[in-house]
Amino acid sequence: MSDMAIDTPRAAAEPAFDRAKALSAFKLGDATFYWLTRASAILVLLMLGGIIISLIIGAWPAMRAFGFEFLWTQRWAPSAHPTPVLGALGPIYGTILTSFIAMLIAVPVGLGIAIFLTELCPPFLKQPIAIAVELLAGIPSIIYGMWGFFVLGPFLADTFEPAIVSAFENVPILNTLFAGPASNLSLFNASLVLSIMILPFITAISRDVFATVPPVLKEAAYGIGCTTWEVVKNVVLPYTRVGVIGGVMLALGRALGETMAVTFIIGNSFRISSSLFAPGTTISAAIASEFAESDGVHQSALILLGLLLFVLTFCVLTAARLMLRRLEKRAGA
Amino acid sequence: MNNAIYASRKRGDKIVKALCYAAAIFGVGWLCLILYTLLANGLAGLSLRIFTEMTPPPGAHDGGLLNAIVGSLIMTVIGVGIGTPIGLFAGTWLAEYGRHSQLTNVIRFVNDILLSAPSIIIGLFIYGAIVVPMGGFSGFAGAIALAVIVIPVVVRTTEDMLLLVPLPLREAASALGLPRAYVITRIAYKAARSGLITGILLATARVAGETAPLLFTALSNQFWSLNLGGTMANLPVTINNFVNNPDPNWKQLAWTGALLITVSVLTLNIVARVLGAERKPK
Amino acid sequence: MSQSAAVLQKIDAPQVNDWTNLGSIKLSIRNLNFYYGTTKALKNINLPLLTNKVTAFIGPSGCGKSTLLRILNRMYDLYPGQRAEGEVLLDGQSILDPKLDINLLRARVGMVFQKPTPFPMTIYDNIAFGIKLYEKIPKSELDGRIETALRSAALWDEVKNKLNASGLSLSGGQQQRLCIARTVAIRPEVILFDEPCSALDPISTAKIEELIDELKSRYTIAIVTHNMQQAARCSDRTAFMYLGDLIEFDETSKIFMSPSQKQTQDYITGRFG
Repeated sequence: MSDMAIDTPRAAAEPAFDRAKALSAFKLGDATFYWLTRASAILVLLMLGGIIISLIIGAWPAMRAFGFEFLWTQRWAPSAHPTPVLGALGPIYGTILTSFIAMLIAVPVGLGIAIFLTELCPPFLKQPIAIAVELLAGIPSIIYGMWGFFVLGPFLADTFEPAIVSAFENVPILNTLFAGPASNLSLFNASLVLSIMILPFITAISRDVFATVPPVLKEAAYGIGCTTWEVVKNVVLPYTRVGVIGGVMLALGRALGETMAVTFIIGNSFRISSSLFAPGTTISAAIASEFAESDGVHQSALILLGLLLFVLTFCVLTAARLMLRRLEKRAGA
Repeated sequence: MNNAIYASRKRGDKIVKALCYAAAIFGVGWLCLILYTLLANGLAGLSLRIFTEMTPPPGAHDGGLLNAIVGSLIMTVIGVGIGTPIGLFAGTWLAEYGRHSQLTNVIRFVNDILLSAPSIIIGLFIYGAIVVPMGGFSGFAGAIALAVIVIPVVVRTTEDMLLLVPLPLREAASALGLPRAYVITRIAYKAARSGLITGILLATARVAGETAPLLFTALSNQFWSLNLGGTMANLPVTINNFVNNPDPNWKQLAWTGALLITVSVLTLNIVARVLGAERKPK
Repeated sequence: MSQSAAVLQKIDAPQVNDWTNLGSIKLSIRNLNFYYGTTKALKNINLPLLTNKVTAFIGPSGCGKSTLLRILNRMYDLYPGQRAEGEVLLDGQSILDPKLDINLLRARVGMVFQKPTPFPMTIYDNIAFGIKLYEKIPKSELDGRIETALRSAALWDEVKNKLNASGLSLSGGQQQRLCIARTVAIRPEVILFDEPCSALDPISTAKIEELIDELKSRYTIAIVTHNMQQAARCSDRTAFMYLGDLIEFDETSKIFMSPSQKQTQDYITGRFG
């Protein structure tokens, strides 16, 4: 085939040689960059592996000492004789209960605000409120915790809780659920602070999810005379169901693992009480308040609590991400 | 048309609308209340000595937050400094090299998990991985804990932003004979620049107020210390300790510290959003 | 279709390798097949690109014309699962060779894309960028090179007073000429145009066509276009492709005046495509 190259301009061959030299100088950088990025990406995987392994290693002594009984033992006595007795039931109960109540309050309100923002809000308020909500989602949780401790807790203990307790005094079930004495520190207070903290989070996610509804769909429904609520109920919510559930689960993951909003105000009591107005604890609050001064099997038990929390949030987050991804795929298609 | 049905539909709509308004007022009201008390209580204690004096012992009537502010700054800067390049590179791999790789989906998923993992777990991880082997609490461990939180945030935004850069721009750069790494660093990064900066700022905002992972990594202390090998004072843990104590001076300092954190986090967020609003990789 | 393709190939077979009378050949494509994963997108393409001539590729969407162009600078290498088989020689040197330095190849075979793709930097840097990649030259020489490049893309007069403005601030047509200048600046031997005018208005299109006509004195040019008038106006030779087959390749005048294949005739008279 070389006879085909007769007409190669000689001038062209020369710069080509220079270029080869110039390009070979890039080769090392090119390869280095590739491996740097690849190593960093792998590091993300290793981080998760590292978290799991270090938790398991740390929790091992407690697993050996308590076995599965750890899960349903209520007593938490790090300095009991002859050996400490430690059980996770109290913190697990507190974690699930506070998250549940927080979601009970925050989900309807958060969705309500999101619907308000996408469908009802006058345009001039839309942007400010949306921005405010997003900014509030970024405020560190210790601020919420502090506010709950100094402001909300006293208010609830002095006014709200006594009123509720006396209101339900003679109603069965409710009178055990809302039993006195009112206290600054209680599961209920913690749940309320938690709900306020995840509120902007739920609102922001639902608003994003609602925004994926194609305007034509909504217009079509409005076009046949649907009211706003009917459009939301029959078009927006069904269309975004998966995404909304995903967003709610993401918020749940956050509520389960939240530490600082809860620690100040929950009272750190490992006893399970039938009253919501009694002190309790959560996994993260227990770790936060006891870990720095713990040692031996006590510390290991706290790490085991952490491992349980991680498994719990891992499951919730996995479900949430899978759902959100499904919505993303549909929106992309 | 059946008027009764129409009227009931109308009524249902009105009720739900009213509920949505109520929700908005309720939610925004709480949040305003929080900001108001924070502002009122925080400003009351704001003075020059906050920035010039060390955290006081209990029972004192003066003192500031200088060591805590400086410690927080140091750990945040180091944490972001370590986390950013790693996150940036990892996000780059996902968006550029790994676009068609199965591994990418796995890493993206793991990153999403890390992104929303409870921060106290990160603290436990660093305690086991660094504090125990090094033999004690240290500012260094705190900074690494923050870096672990920064990484997934930066990975996520980097990937998202790079995916917004149109493919033809990369092809055009490749068509000039540019090696892949240079296409990415000189062209794609440049096109996505404001988005990337937004991500880094958001990550910084996120760690600036993190408390839980510092509780048992950096711990905190009451004196001036720039030694990364030992415990290091920092704002969030200082606030945590001061809140848990009846001393009124400490309570006041906690409020002021909380105000400082909130203001800096909000500022970072706002700057990030302003930058993000003008991001339109072309 | 596959049946008629087989027939066509039989008809074409004798002339396939008989390129000796055509003149000097810059790029020769022989027995080229291309796959997207398992889908065969190009079927046994045989074609020369002549030195300092403009070769146009026409055909309905999905016929493989852009695919063919993207083989010539190995752009497909950016994507996994895409694979070319056969032989493509640039001045007698195989460009499908896996050991070939692709970046070097791309410096020799420049490409201008469908949509203007100015880099997010100043007009000056858009062009200096490519030059500085390969050469270390003093500022004064660089300035000269940039002026030459902009002049040869007929853009100099419009931008000489705002070289520090962003490349994105230009109009679509100007952006496209900036991209041409950027390509020219690194002194390629072949320039590939992939529907360069499809995003442009008629006036900008006319300018680009004029430019292509000027550029061919110095470069070998291949242009993919869906606009048949454009192919007729600015090319010397035209290839008509259909569903991955090269149906006909001849002098442009011949293709448009008296095509030898029925499909070509149907296409250029607008009966399908």
